[in-house]
Amino acid sequence: MAYKIGIDVGGTFTDFLLTRDDGSSAIYKVLSTPKDPSIATVQGIEEMARDRGLTAEQFLSEVTTIVHGTTVTTNATLTYSGARTGLLTTRGLRDALEMRRGIREEQYNNRYPNARPVIERRLRLPVDERLGAQGEVITPLDEGSVRAAVEVLRAEGVEAVAVCFMNAYANPAHEARAAELVRELLPGAFVSVSTEVVPAIRLYDRVSTTALNAYVGPVLRRYLESLTRKLADLHYRGVLLIMASNGGVIAPEVAMDRPATTLLSGPAGGPVAGLAFSRGQGYADCITCDMGGTSFDVALVKDGKPLTTTEGDINRLRISLPMLDVVTIGAGGGSIGWIDEGGLLRMGPQSAGADPGPACYGRGGTRPTCTDADLLLGYLDPAFFAGGRIPLDVDAARRAVDEHVAGPLGLDVDAAAAGMYEVINVSMAAAVREIAVNNGYDPRDFPLVTAGGAGPNHACQIALELGIPVILVPRESSIFCAAGMLRSDLKHDFVRTYPTRLDGIDPDRFRALCREMRDQGLALLADEGIPADRVTVGLTLDLRYLRQYHEVGIEVSWDEAEACDPAAIAAKFHPQHDALYGYSLEDKGTPVELMNIRLTAIGRTDKPSLVPEPRAGEDPSPARKGVRRAYLPGERAFADVVVYDGMALRHGNRFDGPAVIEQVNTTTFVTPEFSVVVDPYGTYTLYRKEREDEILGRVLG
Amino acid sequence: MSGNVTIDKVLVSILQRRLKSITEEMSIAMTRTTRSPILCEAKDFVTGLYDARGNMLEQTENLPILAFSLAPVCKYIIEYYGDDIHPGDVIFHNDVFSMGNQNNDVAVYKPIFFDGELVAWAACKGHQADIGGAVQGGYNPQATEVWQEALRIPPIKVYEKGRRRKDVWDLIFANIRLDIVEEDMRAEIGSCVVGERGMLKILERYGREVFEAHKEHLFDATESMMRQEIRTIPDGVYRGESKAYYDGQNPGSEYTIRVAITVEDGRIRFDYTGTDPQTPGFVNGTFTSSASATILTFLQMVNPDMPHNQGMIRPIEITIPEGTILNAAYPAATTYGNHLCPNNADAIMRALGPVIPDRVTAEWNELLCSLTTGKDPRKEGAPFVDIGFMGMKGGSGGIYGCDGYDHIGMIDASGGVLDQDYEMFEQQTPHRLIRHEYWCDSAGAGRWRGGLGVVTEFEIGGEAVKLVTFGDGDVEPARGAQGGKEGTLNVIRLRYPDGRWYTCTTKDMVADVPAGTLYYQEAGGGGGWGDPRERPAEKVLADVRNGVVSLERARGDYGVVIDPETWTVDEAATAELRS
Repeated sequence: MAYKIGIDVGGTFTDFLLTRDDGSSAIYKVLSTPKDPSIATVQGIEEMARDRGLTAEQFLSEVTTIVHGTTVTTNATLTYSGARTGLLTTRGLRDALEMRRGIREEQYNNRYPNARPVIERRLRLPVDERLGAQGEVITPLDEGSVRAAVEVLRAEGVEAVAVCFMNAYANPAHEARAAELVRELLPGAFVSVSTEVVPAIRLYDRVSTTALNAYVGPVLRRYLESLTRKLADLHYRGVLLIMASNGGVIAPEVAMDRPATTLLSGPAGGPVAGLAFSRGQGYADCITCDMGGTSFDVALVKDGKPLTTTEGDINRLRISLPMLDVVTIGAGGGSIGWIDEGGLLRMGPQSAGADPGPACYGRGGTRPTCTDADLLLGYLDPAFFAGGRIPLDVDAARRAVDEHVAGPLGLDVDAAAAGMYEVINVSMAAAVREIAVNNGYDPRDFPLVTAGGAGPNHACQIALELGIPVILVPRESSIFCAAGMLRSDLKHDFVRTYPTRLDGIDPDRFRALCREMRDQGLALLADEGIPADRVTVGLTLDLRYLRQYHEVGIEVSWDEAEACDPAAIAAKFHPQHDALYGYSLEDKGTPVELMNIRLTAIGRTDKPSLVPEPRAGEDPSPARKGVRRAYLPGERAFADVVVYDGMALRHGNRFDGPAVIEQVNTTTFVTPEFSVVVDPYGTYTLYRKEREDEILGRVLG
Repeated sequence: MSGNVTIDKVLVSILQRRLKSITEEMSIAMTRTTRSPILCEAKDFVTGLYDARGNMLEQTENLPILAFSLAPVCKYIIEYYGDDIHPGDVIFHNDVFSMGNQNNDVAVYKPIFFDGELVAWAACKGHQADIGGAVQGGYNPQATEVWQEALRIPPIKVYEKGRRRKDVWDLIFANIRLDIVEEDMRAEIGSCVVGERGMLKILERYGREVFEAHKEHLFDATESMMRQEIRTIPDGVYRGESKAYYDGQNPGSEYTIRVAITVEDGRIRFDYTGTDPQTPGFVNGTFTSSASATILTFLQMVNPDMPHNQGMIRPIEITIPEGTILNAAYPAATTYGNHLCPNNADAIMRALGPVIPDRVTAEWNELLCSLTTGKDPRKEGAPFVDIGFMGMKGGSGGIYGCDGYDHIGMIDASGGVLDQDYEMFEQQTPHRLIRHEYWCDSAGAGRWRGGLGVVTEFEIGGEAVKLVTFGDGDVEPARGAQGGKEGTLNVIRLRYPDGRWYTCTTKDMVADVPAGTLYYQEAGGGGGWGDPRERPAEKVLADVRNGVVSLERARGDYGVVIDPETWTVDEAATAELRS
């Protein structure tokens, strides 16, 4: 028997999805161990082994693949506990990293402090060298200045060194030589070179990404060494892969080489999971939303591909690597409700977290949270939260809502809880709308795949707010990201900047850049054990009209790149610009400019198969647990609502809202506007009546 | 109309959040579609929604100095057209003598109809790269009247009932130099369409009556929040003065801004009576540029987490006599007016600083900016225009509890306008950047020091290069507060290839700058807050080690003695100096 394990380390829980090659699966959750997250990982493995009557060694000998998502780099950056890092950069420009182009994100807030850089000024050292905008050498690299700077860094005891020079995207020679000197003079230091990390134009983006890469490098190395050692001690011989923020997975060696690719990888498994569950019903597009204890993450999948961005931020610091475009807001089960000075009700972004947690946890929390409201509205069963492991205190929830929301607003407690529920739903809906609209899509055209412990309780209201007619709640929604990790491919991104008007492009140079990146991708994937016949290559050209500042990424095939026909490429650009922004300048004959060529090399992995369940009848009554009072937002009233045991629902079961579907780690509240049908993989499909024929066709065939 | 609607307090919160998110969507549409770097990189624009009477519903204020003219212009347009407003109309406006704030800030207004009734307006206003007049880009220190500065657009319909008025459209763009302005105005219209769609969704969902009643309640709630903030300031009359230097025509000229601020029962009145008369040149404010300056300065003294709607404005009253430097009479030149904001802000901070010292910053570095135009030989002589955002960003003033913000730039934008990226700068202009770094000892010392200023140097490239400067801050530095020290002055100098130095005036126009000339700019630091000797010694040490405060100033200003061999504070010597 062969197993695969997806492991997602979260702030509170470490989630495990164990799949077997016969398609069966099991979910595990273990309390996280923030000081060394690999401890919880091993505990989970031991628990899985125990349940199968095996030792950890015996169990692991049957495991072929472990895919692991880690937040150690994210946390190190958020808490400024990364490595002591130095920067070598072009003389005159050493403050680019800290200045961040002079933005203050809160304009009216005079107590909003300067963002703290990951490398302080005295460790940002100038080097004498200068390249022109075309990569021509204006001042040759003064190796003496590099040596002198490295001596300073050595005396300061740095563990990592970032190297980033002006215009190096057009000529990496100076950086390469400086890096060579650093490696020679400071053996053992982690060296991060901008043209290796992200060789694209825009100095601030590059220096910031390169600095972050250096800052988290030693941290990730230590962590992965600890993890691989623990697995080696248990004689694990299968494959270990690490989740990257681009939605792909990579070998640990690759991650250690480019650690910044793991920054913000926490929610990166979500879209792949969303796609896996929606694809079963024939969708190529979906929006995924994951509502945990403190945050709400939204992503969008279009034509089978999650949207990516190169403008990510962490702690107000730019990461310019391709990463999944995830909109995160501070809304979760722990979000606190409060009344502002104008008497308006607000929810979050402050969260009660896991400690003290919502008032109803009875661990000392006195502020009313979203979970308290959900409890008072009848969506949660006080005796069956986390399968009964955390008994909920209804009175404590009532007191908290009464004191902090109902009293000040002059409402009764139920109305106040309903208000809290509605306000947070509107905020989450705004986040869903943002990711769609930002990218030129209408959210109503996408099924909403909902995950996280709290998400399915709120999905209907979010969908109603936006007019989204279909919601999918996978059975594995509580360990959604772990599920996505097991379905992710190996993925490496490359970029080269080649600023030129398309009508003046040098085809040989263009092809050479494409081939260079492809060969790099093939080599990297070969090192990870992926044969060439499992590799696909995707090319995107960043194009814009002459003198525009923002580019549009246009996908081209390898053959189109080889052909390098400017007219054919421009012909793909005009309609895309029109679709996104409402106009094109094709008729005016405005020239099109190329800025960057991006290549993604994907190595296909074997995915756990989803085995369809045989179809049962429509009648859900075998899964019926009972009836309880729950609040119907549309009617503004409580009513008796049927409660189902989610694990007992079968493929083909159908019922109308209002209803509550309970599982151990998640509860789904179905409002009266929605009906439910269970698909062959156990996914609850919530739909508006007017879409019934289409949905039943998709789900029941 | 709201008589029989029951107010749902939760819906009020939801409505506010929805309105805000629509204006944010409008802003995204602008950023993504515009071509002028002033718009798509620097985000020099504002988007907003207004009710049928022109009251502000919500705004996204990337550049606050533009923000508080949109509602007054909306009211003006409603009155101007009377019953001649129809679905599908699109109206342009920039005229500074009918509530516009600056000629280059061109607005688009789109009326929103629901069930055949005018219910709201969507509007967008952005700084256009050119709007006609004698000088490309609009900044013309020699201008003495509006026609030398710009094409005036009192309201004009460019679309009527959904049809574009081709003749009107062509007339406007025939008077503007750069073709990207036409595209960027299309983008402003697109942004308004986004706003219209969002508003209609709200109305379809709740109906007009519920919307109106809850809107009024939102205004009232916000007003009460603002009044509560104002009540934390003791009632009284507070006076402040500041000076604006050099009108661009008469060397050595000075103008005084005088404000009397009356706080009474949760209301605040700013009265500029007694402010000096307008200047003969373009250094003149308009009513709305000066009112915006007033509001944005005051908003920084209250809770920043407040909805922006008409209720916020209601307790604020502003009087600016016509014919003064802050509200010039027709047909004065006024393009510089937005940049009187720092001077105006100083007068307000000097009036209120002593009253609410913990909520008022020390003074900010004043703006001094340059603009270069010319031809780029690398691109077959194609023209380039560059506003020197990078050089102009000095520091903000310190405040109780927080150091000033480094490299933030003018208070009119408060960190909303960004530098060009360094490498994009060298792609877009023929200049070569040599230095762009924090300026050591530029920040005013204080318990909370001022924000750092910046030194910028670049080598000018290209042909037929012309340099225009506009700004202030070369005479009077940003003052400290509560015992804090002042920041440093601004300057722009040129070193010609023959080695000769030229110091620009603050409103200058220098023609035929040869390639190879060195451009040198110092943007000063902000003022410090509180006695520098109360600043923790380890913070001073960190600044010294980071090279932003010198050893000498650490000792002289902060009373902190540091041993540069060991990088430790000499505790005994420090205690003695500080006693």
